Amino acid sequence: MTSNNGRIVGAVEIGTSKIAVLVGEIAHGRSLNIIGVGLAQSRGVMKGEVVDYKTVCEATHHALEMAESKAGTRLDEVWLAQTGGHLDGFYNEASVNVQSADNTVTQLDIERVCTLAQQKELPAGRSRIHAIRRPFCLDGRAVPDPEHLTGSRLDVGYWMVHGQESKVSDNIHVVGGYHLEVRELVLAALASGSLLTTTEDRLRGALVLDIGKGVTDFVLYRDGHVLATGVLPVGGDHLTNDLAIGLRVTTMQAEALKLRWGRGTVQTRDKSEKVWLNGDMSFGDRQLPKSAIELITTARTQELLEVVLHKLGSRFSPEHCGAGIILTGGTAKLPGIADAATKVFGLSARCGESPAWVKDELKDPMFSTVLGIYQFGLRAAHEHPSPIPRKPGLFSGLTKMFS
Amino acid sequence: MSEVPPTAARSGRSWRDISQEVKPRAMSKKGRRRQYTGWLKAGGITVLVGGLVYGVFHLVHEWQTDRVAFADTVNSEPVRHLAVRTDRGGTLTEKWVAQILALPKGATLMALDLPALRNRLTAQGQVRMAVVTRKFPNTLEVTLQERTPVARVQALDARGLAKQLFVAMDGTVYDGTNYDQQMVSGLPWLDGIRLVRQGPGYAPVVGMADVSALLTTAQIEAPHLYRTWLVVSLATLADRDEITVKAQEIAVIIFSRKESFQKQIARLDYILDRAHERPEVGLSSINLALAGQVPVKFERSPEELAQPEYTSRFTLPKTLQRKAQRDF
Repeated sequence: MTSNNGRIVGAVEIGTSKIAVLVGEIAHGRSLNIIGVGLAQSRGVMKGEVVDYKTVCEATHHALEMAESKAGTRLDEVWLAQTGGHLDGFYNEASVNVQSADNTVTQLDIERVCTLAQQKELPAGRSRIHAIRRPFCLDGRAVPDPEHLTGSRLDVGYWMVHGQESKVSDNIHVVGGYHLEVRELVLAALASGSLLTTTEDRLRGALVLDIGKGVTDFVLYRDGHVLATGVLPVGGDHLTNDLAIGLRVTTMQAEALKLRWGRGTVQTRDKSEKVWLNGDMSFGDRQLPKSAIELITTARTQELLEVVLHKLGSRFSPEHCGAGIILTGGTAKLPGIADAATKVFGLSARCGESPAWVKDELKDPMFSTVLGIYQFGLRAAHEHPSPIPRKPGLFSGLTKMFS
Repeated sequence: MSEVPPTAARSGRSWRDISQEVKPRAMSKKGRRRQYTGWLKAGGITVLVGGLVYGVFHLVHEWQTDRVAFADTVNSEPVRHLAVRTDRGGTLTEKWVAQILALPKGATLMALDLPALRNRLTAQGQVRMAVVTRKFPNTLEVTLQERTPVARVQALDARGLAKQLFVAMDGTVYDGTNYDQQMVSGLPWLDGIRLVRQGPGYAPVVGMADVSALLTTAQIEAPHLYRTWLVVSLATLADRDEITVKAQEIAVIIFSRKESFQKQIARLDYILDRAHERPEVGLSSINLALAGQVPVKFERSPEELAQPEYTSRFTLPKTLQRKAQRDF
């Protein structure tokens, strides 16, 4: 990430259910002031992937225009959240022998081992999204910065996140169609994880689950670093579909039932307790057993969480996840989902809460990814500052004045 | 700390390699509108910046040219003295300079437009260079470099009357003022040229650099010869690189501009010396333009020269003896 001085940066999330845009003014590369919000119902997106370019463009550009209009300024650039079932990750590590005669690690050794660790070729048609470094190991001991330390062998590993180039390109072009440049691409899971976890959480270990409508993004932290990330093409609509099939109702009705009566764990003991389908006594309105709704949503929720657990495999261990499970995303609003997560992962789970600096109107979980984009970007810029960019000149000053 | 960021996408194909260009057809209406708005703004800003720059330039220009306003600001005194310095020792006088400058009465020193005054002076052909400076509190100092005339030429003025003009080394034709009459009468006339009108004066004479070189060499190396030169013709200069001089004793002396004038003058001097040993043999022309040979034409035919009266005489008649024809 690059540090910015007084730049107007847009954070954009093109999700399956909604498109969220925030307009932030970043001063001195670390101070953020959110000045505009744009929200639009998503259309043409399935499982986090663009399937109808024109429709997605219309919705996204509407949200961008709304955000710009509320902010009263034009965006300079966009930081875009990337999700979708096509995203994948793998771990690759490399080790080098320390070159100097006195075994002192130099910058050259560090650069060599980092380059080697990132040199893994990707399959055809795949593009690298992130290369997330884990701590260095010097003769087997983890060190944050090995420079000037003494040792004979230096190891480093990278968690490489990659995606299908055509699908990443589609996302970028949707923003490009609004005459904007995507300056940064941030994995949605990393964005949410950055916002909802503290440094202490990450040190103790935490699993962040962002359960959206179409996909579930997750990120696992251990010892303050990202251990694994992933995206499952399963989300809230999985629950809706099963409700529609199981109760023989339309998808819209199933969605309404899920929002009103759905739960992550079964609470209703009385099997005779019924709820109205529409509740407006209209034609076709009928009563449905509440326990059946809860049973379906609980089963699907549990299944979803088990898929995540399975995907994490041996990388997840409760003893290295002291901060527990943090849930976010639209589906995380399902009552009892935290209990379901506790049951599946064997750890305490909670719904993620935005930090105190976030305004009340943005504390809804649906903004956690877009807010997290800024958090992730600013943290990266703060921890690894790039050279200070040239101060804006007279021309750019005038441009801003008239924008 | 390591320079490698923990989340950088480094080697291999990165998402950053994906082209972000979107074809206009793939842009939405809102996107196109945004793009056009951006262009309009950029254009507007360019025009505004251009206007500002022009405005500043105009203000500075006005400030520099509006002498009256400047003078009011500085509160300078009216011009009381005019100091003239020339490199020719008083040919151009203060009176002449004052007449040319025509300073308005009571004009203050700061209100004067010095570049315009300088142009007024240099418009006079006799002035090669002029420097006009303010000497506070109330003196205008004018330093002049004058042109030196090397020849004269006759032209007709607007009323059709003959007028004597001067030609400088650089070919400038001008109406000289305050020259010493003796010096003027010693200048040879130019012939074989066509004066072409240019603005209020005449276009410079082409080839004057060579003529000047010849005349200057003659003046320095053989002043006794130079004094006898009456007319210098440039008629064959362009075609044959020849300068023809008419002297008092000899009607035609041809010089070549391709050869060293010093050598040609030395040859001429030698020939004339030898001719004076045989005064009965009158010379009508000497051609110095042929390398290695100097054809000489006599006033009399070879048959006449073969007569004993011409072969027996060895003294120069008084009329053919070299003497100063003009006094300086």
